[in-house]
Amino acid sequence: MRRKTISILLAAAMGLTLLAGCGGDKDAAGGADGNGGAAGTESFGGGQSQAEIEKIKIYVPTANKFDDMNRVMAAVNEISREKIGVEVEFKAYEFGQWFQQYSLFLSGTEDVDILANYGGYLNAVSQGAAYDLTDLLQEYGQDIVAMEGEYLKSGEVDGVQYAIPIYASYAWTMGIIYRQDVVDELGLQDQVAAVKNLEDWGAVLEAVKAAKPDMTPFVSNSGNTAAVFQYGTWDDLGNNYGVLMNGGDGTEVVNLFETEEYARLCGILHDWYVKGYSNKDIQTQTDSFTVLTQNDAAFSTLGQTDFNTSFYQSTSCGKDMGIVMLDVPVARTYNNVTYTVMSNTKHPEACMKFLNLWFSDEEIGNLISYGIEGEHYQLNENGMGCYVDGQDSSSCTYHLGSAISNTNRIRWESENPEYAQLLVDSNTNAKKSKALGFGFNTANVTNEITQLDNVCSKYQIGLECGALDPEVYLPEFNSALKEAGLDTVIAEKQRQLDVFLEAQ
Amino acid sequence: MKKKNMLKQVKRYWPFYLMALPACVYFFINNYIPMGGLILAFEKYTVSGGIFGSEKVGLNNFKFLFQSSDAWIMTRNTILYNLAFIVFGTIISILVAYLLHELKHEMSRKVYQTVILFPGLLSIIIISYLANALLAGDTGYINMHILAPLGLEPVSFYSEQKWWPFILIFIHFWQMTGSNCILYLANMSAIDPGLYEAANLDGANRFRCFVNITLPCLVPTIVTLTILSVGKIFNSDFGLFYQVPMNSGAIIDVTQTIDTYVYRGLMNTANMGMSAAACFYQSVVGFCLVMITNALVRKFSRENAMF
Repeated sequence: MRRKTISILLAAAMGLTLLAGCGGDKDAAGGADGNGGAAGTESFGGGQSQAEIEKIKIYVPTANKFDDMNRVMAAVNEISREKIGVEVEFKAYEFGQWFQQYSLFLSGTEDVDILANYGGYLNAVSQGAAYDLTDLLQEYGQDIVAMEGEYLKSGEVDGVQYAIPIYASYAWTMGIIYRQDVVDELGLQDQVAAVKNLEDWGAVLEAVKAAKPDMTPFVSNSGNTAAVFQYGTWDDLGNNYGVLMNGGDGTEVVNLFETEEYARLCGILHDWYVKGYSNKDIQTQTDSFTVLTQNDAAFSTLGQTDFNTSFYQSTSCGKDMGIVMLDVPVARTYNNVTYTVMSNTKHPEACMKFLNLWFSDEEIGNLISYGIEGEHYQLNENGMGCYVDGQDSSSCTYHLGSAISNTNRIRWESENPEYAQLLVDSNTNAKKSKALGFGFNTANVTNEITQLDNVCSKYQIGLECGALDPEVYLPEFNSALKEAGLDTVIAEKQRQLDVFLEAQ
Repeated sequence: MKKKNMLKQVKRYWPFYLMALPACVYFFINNYIPMGGLILAFEKYTVSGGIFGSEKVGLNNFKFLFQSSDAWIMTRNTILYNLAFIVFGTIISILVAYLLHELKHEMSRKVYQTVILFPGLLSIIIISYLANALLAGDTGYINMHILAPLGLEPVSFYSEQKWWPFILIFIHFWQMTGSNCILYLANMSAIDPGLYEAANLDGANRFRCFVNITLPCLVPTIVTLTILSVGKIFNSDFGLFYQVPMNSGAIIDVTQTIDTYVYRGLMNTANMGMSAAACFYQSVVGFCLVMITNALVRKFSRENAMF
């Protein structure tokens, strides 16, 4: 009898686990369906009373400190509860962890409402993880619209507002970033001033190589994880598979890797590699230019340059840095930091209201970027933010930094005091790419892009850092790209661009 | 009749079944329920659609694996490297285990075993930098302190393909032999010493003992381990093939495996369906290979088959 009872119990236990398993799945599927339906109707929350406080969660990456997050958030909520009836909870991740988990966040299994997107939001869109914000932006985001104007298009795909970009510097071009103090020390100012294009830079490198044997004259900007010409003089239209040359002053999408410009650049870099201006191990360089410069190991690199670059680089490298722009800055769609609302959120309106507040209210801007005044930062004699006496960047318990939102905050002491105004001037007056505001929808060419990415991982870095001879490898690279379907992607891009231009 | 026996068995040995229950529940929850997610391989996953509600796209997600001209290269690399690991791995592990086993001095055996095992405890990132310190072009130990004093031309390891099959296989064994030989070592100590004594009386030398006693006793272990590794022949040690070559494009033809291809292709696009398809493909091929290998083993020596 007793045995029987036990077997029944066991069977029951097993049955229960089974049910639990299935039940969980059903819940998940049901929940997803419900949200999908709701997202389509765009009418939920209508019956909710205004007095009810909505709670939302935001995930952001940071390279800085966030130990005191809870107290700062309490202060933020104090204000946001009053102004818009929303409470927020920020969750910050270290950059390394962020990039590993970002795909997971996109899969919609995390309890998050607003997600930061570093280096593009197109994946969020193609996975259906981004909420359609077009109407909400008009309704609740007027401050953002006023501030960002036509640059909001850098959060659009096919005319739908999927992401809210921060008001960043849109006008930039490819340029040389170098150690100004070394140039001064060696008396190379005249030579640097005479540099008009990349070829001319070789003479400066020659001089540095002779005078500073321990310093590599030229290194790649972010190690071997990113292409050296990542920030080119062309408009890359979202990825390098089909670009508009000369900063997008035409409308014909061409294969970058077949252009004379690209071959010329690769030729110069190869020449430098052969002459020893760059390291023989540049292909496997893992440290970024910033790290190498901090350690006096590098002199110059190629990168994104705009009105603020030498200021910004001097701060992050801790050395006096100068730049040579290789073309005029051009405004284009690309934006490194955007925010998307998850398509399965239950509070889309609250999300939009909060983004609007965060991107326009100076008090909130200061709190989220720098923490509580007197505790995490203080104002110096010029009215700029700095660490509290006795603290520095490593001992301060909260400092998310200024790069994650708009300019509605006090300037940090290392920033250009005029940054906010200079930024508006630069974005307003810059030459604009014809494709400004165009976002490439990759959904139809996913297979091709997967293969193209693989072809690039074989050739691109080797060619762009000069280790591979372009005479031999550039044709090989191009035929591999063609085989992987580059022409299909370019045709698709041209088609989408034509539709975009027609709608203008 | 059979059913009755089964029931009888359960009744008789119920405490054992009870003991196995937690493990069964664990496997059910952890290994079987998630298999439902395999459906992702046939879908274009969207957040609003979820795992079961997304648009079905048939075999579309599998295309990228086979469309590319690299398909052949990565499959060849994956299989050849794994074959090398299985064949040489078995030989080296048994040899090392035998040498350790024959060491009668307790202390030195422990020291040797720890030394051999230690690299296996290192993170692959550290190993990749150790390799880099040896192989780098400008600053590497081999170029600076071995080739240069001998008056030889420096070798640019990270751009010459021919070295990498050897480098990768060497690093693999340097890292894994310690842990791989443990099972063989345990097996050897379980062999009845009486067998050796009898053989010694008959005048057999060490070599004969090894061939006629040790090896035959190890056969079941060898077979089991081989079948298990054959099942993973389409997977590769991602760290070894991605980290150790330091992402150098020039040697990709000999370092690309299915895993690194999938990673390189999908890292930027974060496509759930295609990643699931790649894993699905690897598991299905692995499963088939396990069944085939086991069937072959069963055909030739029934008692050594796993099932």
